Order: sequence, then structure tokens, then C-alpha cells
Amino acid sequence: MDLTNGFAFTCPFKTNSGNKALENLPVELAGLNAFKPLIITSRPLAGCRAISTLKNAFGDSGMTLGIFDGVTETADLSVVEQIRDIFVKGQYDSIIALGGGVVVDVAKIVNLAVSQKVADARQLSPATAIRDPLGPFIVIPTAAATGMETSKYAFLQGKSFVSVHLMPDLVILDPRLTRAKDGKAVAEAGFAAFGRILEADIAPDRNPLMHAYAFTALRFLRENLADAVNKRCNKKASLAVANAVAMSGCVISNTDQNVLHRLGQVFQKIVHVHPGMIIGMCLHPFLDDCMKKDSSLIASLLLPLGGDDKYAAMPEAGRAGEALRDIYEFSYEIYRSLKGKIPRTITEAGIQQYLMNDVMDIINQEPDGAYLRTMIDRVGGGSIKA
Amino acid sequence: MILPDYYEFCCRVKIVAGHDALEKIPALLAEMGSKKPLIITDKGVAAAGLVDIVVNALKDGVTIGGIADNVPPDSDLKVVNQLAGLYRDNACDAIIAVGGGSVMDTAKGVNIVVSENATDLMAFSGAGALNRRLKPLVAIPTTAGTGSEVTLVAVIKDHEKHQKMLFTSYVLLPNVSILDSRMTMTMPPFITAMTGMDALSHAVEGYYCLQKNPLSDAHSLAAVNMIHQYLSTVTQNPSDKEGRLAMAVGACLAGISFSNSMVGIVHNLGHATGAVCGVPHGICMAVLLPYGLEYNMHKCGDTIAELLLPMAGEEVYRTTPKAERADKVVSLIRQMNQDLNAITGGRHARYFSEVKDRDGKQMVPRDVLPAIAKAALLDGATIYNPEDQDYEENLLVLEAAWEGKPLDRSKIKKG
Repeated sequence: MDLTNGFAFTCPFKTNSGNKALENLPVELAGLNAFKPLIITSRPLAGCRAISTLKNAFGDSGMTLGIFDGVTETADLSVVEQIRDIFVKGQYDSIIALGGGVVVDVAKIVNLAVSQKVADARQLSPATAIRDPLGPFIVIPTAAATGMETSKYAFLQGKSFVSVHLMPDLVILDPRLTRAKDGKAVAEAGFAAFGRILEADIAPDRNPLMHAYAFTALRFLRENLADAVNKRCNKKASLAVANAVAMSGCVISNTDQNVLHRLGQVFQKIVHVHPGMIIGMCLHPFLDDCMKKDSSLIASLLLPLGGDDKYAAMPEAGRAGEALRDIYEFSYEIYRSLKGKIPRTITEAGIQQYLMNDVMDIINQEPDGAYLRTMIDRVGGGSIKA
Repeated sequence: MILPDYYEFCCRVKIVAGHDALEKIPALLAEMGSKKPLIITDKGVAAAGLVDIVVNALKDGVTIGGIADNVPPDSDLKVVNQLAGLYRDNACDAIIAVGGGSVMDTAKGVNIVVSENATDLMAFSGAGALNRRLKPLVAIPTTAGTGSEVTLVAVIKDHEKHQKMLFTSYVLLPNVSILDSRMTMTMPPFITAMTGMDALSHAVEGYYCLQKNPLSDAHSLAAVNMIHQYLSTVTQNPSDKEGRLAMAVGACLAGISFSNSMVGIVHNLGHATGAVCGVPHGICMAVLLPYGLEYNMHKCGDTIAELLLPMAGEEVYRTTPKAERADKVVSLIRQMNQDLNAITGGRHARYFSEVKDRDGKQMVPRDVLPAIAKAALLDGATIYNPEDQDYEENLLVLEAAWEGKPLDRSKIKKG
């Protein structure tokens, strides 16, 4: 790894993962000087069972909890303002977000609002300066996690907030909460994490600290994603995938290499599909392009994906090809087992023309818009446009 | 990759590395709302010209609130209080610690006093007593070894009351650690060798101790790779900039690993040897590391074998039969000590019998080994070692490490 140009890396969150991880919450909160948390969640999105599991974890700790469980897919800054008001009036001192996606986006922006003591959260905008650390913030992802929960990003109704201070202090991965109802959700989260991490880890400017997270997450996904998709009773596989998804938030917050990530985000914003669906589609053409640019970086993927023995046994010249083969087999197995539940092309996804036009309008504004267009064309987007 | 039933991992420190990383400090301080840092260091670091490099890099970016270079080799409560006074008198708003373990400990102690407005530091000792954010702390390590730039503990001694206070809290983690190749460039070969072996012992013990987890493992593997690749070359060529930076990053990775997975017998016996005989910590680590691996081999040989690939590369890994890979790791570490011994003209000790003080006097006479074995029973590092230890076993390891003979593994009581 070339260190000549230097690097910076940060991962502000602690990870607690495994059996009864939730039960440590009172101690963890005390360590953050917090004693009265407000839980932000969604009954339909996180599920009543998850909410009661979390409540029960506080047992006889004597802590006073508040719960706002009304976050919806269409939440906006007025919901943030509603929760801010509850937080202030209830004199809460910390936030626990239970769920994935929009639930955590809302919680991040509530944390910004209460920490910076804004009078009305509806006035917050992406231009709001976030200089100081925010208040204690814990994220407990469920199977609905997209990987962005642990990142420095928060998106809400077209508004994008970015700051390392938005990242949680702690992420808790508890096997009681990370098992998905359907394989599709697991696969989408897994593909999103896989693509985002892989892109960062084959960039020429990758650094050893970020690589430690990337290595762990890629190996977890390679070894567990298929099982987590197909054998949903396998708690351990789901938990390993949830670990990798959480690590992807750290990786994406420490890289500028985000072609796949941005494509996923655009489609999520306009078409309301999971970013993992688009990242999964674009993985192959993206890797083909990387292979043409510098195959040695692809070759390095064989170690996390193939394991020590396979990596060491393969002559150097064959490693990049073997890594690609491994990724193709890995993703094919998941697509096949889902029997068409996740489309493999934009054509299969049936995205309508007017939405594709909106997608293209955004893509064209990107500095590398021309390249992103070719990517969309190669996964069937071109045929829709035609 | 094994996912433990339960694990915790945390390193909130921002790591900024490079050949010009020091120049980034003013901007990093500004991000934290600070513009008047107190620089804390020791006389050795200052005499080596390292503080001048730091001051020069900060130049117009910040107002330096003071430079205190009176940190003693052993942290001292009096100095902590005196520096806290300096911090307040000069209206400082951040701390920059430039140095090794005792400088970092002192800086953390000062930070507790000034942030908590503490009059009695003792009230904040132990675990769980500190839970509020402290003032911004920037750590600049001047050796590539201790990893104290990423650890959450501080030890402060009250020499008057003969008390040792231990502070443990995530808020003690520095906000930023700066790994700059210029900070280790002038380190003499002998010090480079022993501090580098200290870092290797963190990476290796972090990989086999009981609190290991997938993230600490990944940090260990990367650290082992960098340290094995660069330690001998930078000891041989001290001005190798790339090697110095790689060693600084490797030691940091190792520090992150062991502060999460903890350390075992190597540190346990090393702490005791340091306490009884005053042997520098890095030397103890270098000497004991192969023995720690041998001692734990029957419990975690497969785990140890996994270190071979990052250490020696694919050719050696492939040509070494699976059953011999763990032993190969041990022999490679012995070889590192051998190489470092040759490069330093014999100053880098391979065995305890070779450790000498400045006057050439043996520092670890054979007859003190029982005292070391006994002292080790009181050290907390045994808790995380895969195999249990008792007095006889401690002595067995120490005897072997004194003579420089491989450990007779048949004598270990297998628990």
C-alpha cells in the first residue's frame, strides 16, 4: 500500500456485536454521560417486536426512556421538528435510533437540531455548519439497514447533510434484531455494502486503517451473505452481514471513491429503490473497467474473498481474474437463489421512462456524468431511454 | 473469519499520517475550535530537535500557548498539576503531546485536571469515572512502538503517597494522532529495534489473546505485515522515509489491535521483568515474544499459523506445510531478533542473559528469575492469555528466555 501521499482516517463509532448486546445499553449510555435517552424508531419499519426487545433490554436499570415510533418513509424536516420538540420538552439527553434508512436519517438530523440548539428544525439545511461534536447518539440497526446508518451522511427529502459528527458514538448489532423477514432485503443491503467497500478498497489511495474495515467486511460478506439470504434461521450469518453493513458506513465515510455509491443514491432518491439493487447491477461493468485500468488492485481482492490458501496458491498473474470470477460466482448464486426478486438490469426493474429522465438529469450534473451514463447504459438503462 | 458470540471494538482516534502530517495540525485544531495549544514533551524529545520540527510546522497556523518539556520518564502527579496550572495561566484550549508513553500519560492527566477542573485526580481514577468529553488532545508519537497514541489508559504516579493511579476511559483517547515520518527519523537503531519489536508484540498478542475479534484481527494482520517488512530495513537505514512512515502506521495499527483484544503472557512477564530489573519494555517484548507464542501454541496454533502469510508472503506460506506454519512464525520472529542483533552490533538483546546496562553489567541475573515469576502473578495481563499461567510455568518460560533455548512445551500444564 503506497503511503507516500499520506492519509487521514476516522471511525468515531464503537461497535458492540453479539448475544445480548442490547443489555449493555445502560452502561454504554452512562459511559457517554447520558441517562435519559429518547428512542427514535418506526413501528411499521422496525417492527413492534424489535421495539419491545429494546425496551426490555433496559430491565431494571431505572433509566427513563422516551419513545417516538412514528417515523415513516416520507418523513421530512417537520417530523424532525416534532421530535426535537419532544426531546427538549422531555429533557432527554441522548438519542437511540432503532431501525435502518430513513429512521436513522431522521435521528441524525434530530441530534443535529438538539445539539446545536436550533429553535426550529425546519430551518436546518445542508448549508448548516456542523463544527462541534453532537450529543450522545447510538444506532441499533435492524435488517432494514442500508449501510448508511453508520456513515457521515444523512438524507431527508432531497436534502443531504454531511459531517463526521453525524456518525454515531456506538452501533449495537444484536442477533435478535438483525434477522430479515425476506432474503431480498438482506441481499440488497449486502450488495450495497459489498459494492461500496470494494470500490474504496481497490482505489489507489486506499489506506491501511480503512483497509482493516474493508478486509473484515468483504470476508464477512463473502462467507455469509448467501447463507443469510437463503437460510434466514441462520442468526450468525445475518449478524455477520449486519456487521459488514455497519462497517461499510465507516468505509464510505473515509473515501472519495464512490461511483457505485452515488449511482445507488440517485436511484434511491428518484425511483425509491434500494441502492443495493443498482449497486448489484453495476458491479460487473464497474469491475470490468477497473480491471482495464489496474488489474493489480483487483488482484488484491482475492485475499479477503478467496482466503489465505486460495490467494497463496494462485500465481500473481492469475489473481485478478480469479477475484473477478469469485465475485461473479458469488453474486450469481445470490441472484439465482432469489429467483428474480432482485432485477439484474434496469429493463428488468421496469423503471419508467419519466423516472429515468429524472435520473439522467441528476447524473448529467455530476462531474463524471458521462462515465456514469455509460454505466447506466450497460445495465440496460440505455434501452429504456431509446 | 470467526464472528465471536460477543465482541466490542473501538478506536475513535482520527489518524492523520504522512511525511507532512504535522502541517495539518492547525487545520485539525481549528476543526475542534482550538487555536492555542499547550505542547507537552520531555527533555529527550526536545533535545533531539523534534519539538522544533513540530513548532515549525505549526508556525503561523496557531498561537502556541506554551512548551513544557519537563515530563519525567515516570509520570508524576506534581508535574501533571504544574502543567495544568501552565495550561490555565496561558489560557490554552488544547494539548499537543509529543513523545512516548510517559508524555502521553502526563498529557492525559493534565487533560483530566483542566477539563474536569479537578483538584483531586484520584477521584477520576479507575474505570467509568470519566464520561464527559475532555479538551482536544493531539498525540504525536516519537517512537514507532508503544501505540499509546491510540490507547484509552493513563497511568499517573503520586510519588509522595507512593500511589499509582490508573485511568481508563474512552474519553482519554486522543482526538487526533499524527504519524509523521520526521518524528522517528533520528531514532537510533537500537531504540528503533526494540520499539519496533514492542509494536510487533502488540500485533501478535492482539491476534491470539482472548478478547480478539474480527476488527482487531484485521488491524493485527496489517500491522504484522508492515512491521516484518520494514523493521530491519529502517534499523539498517534510519533515514528511510517510507520505511519510517510504514513503521509508524504499523505500530499504530498494532496499538489499535491490542487495546481492543488485550495482551497476554509476553506483556505479563515483560511488565514483571521491567519492574524487577528495570529492563526497557521493548527489550522485554523482543526477548519474550517467541516464548509467548510457544507457550500458547497448543491452545491456538492455528491462529498463530495465520500470521505466516502477512509476515512472510505467499511463497513461504505455500511452501510451508500447514502443520509447520505456526512454528515457522516463531522462527521468523527469532530471526528478526537475530537480524536486529547483528544490525545493532549486539545491542539488541535476543535473550535475557544478553541484556546489559550502560556499564555493561548484566541487567537480569539468573537468580532474579524466581522473583520475576512471582511478580508476574500480580499483573493483570494474565487474564487474557489463552493458556493459564502459574509460578512454575512463568519460571519455565523465563529460564528458556534467559538461556535463549526454545521452550520445552512438554512441561506446560495444559489447562
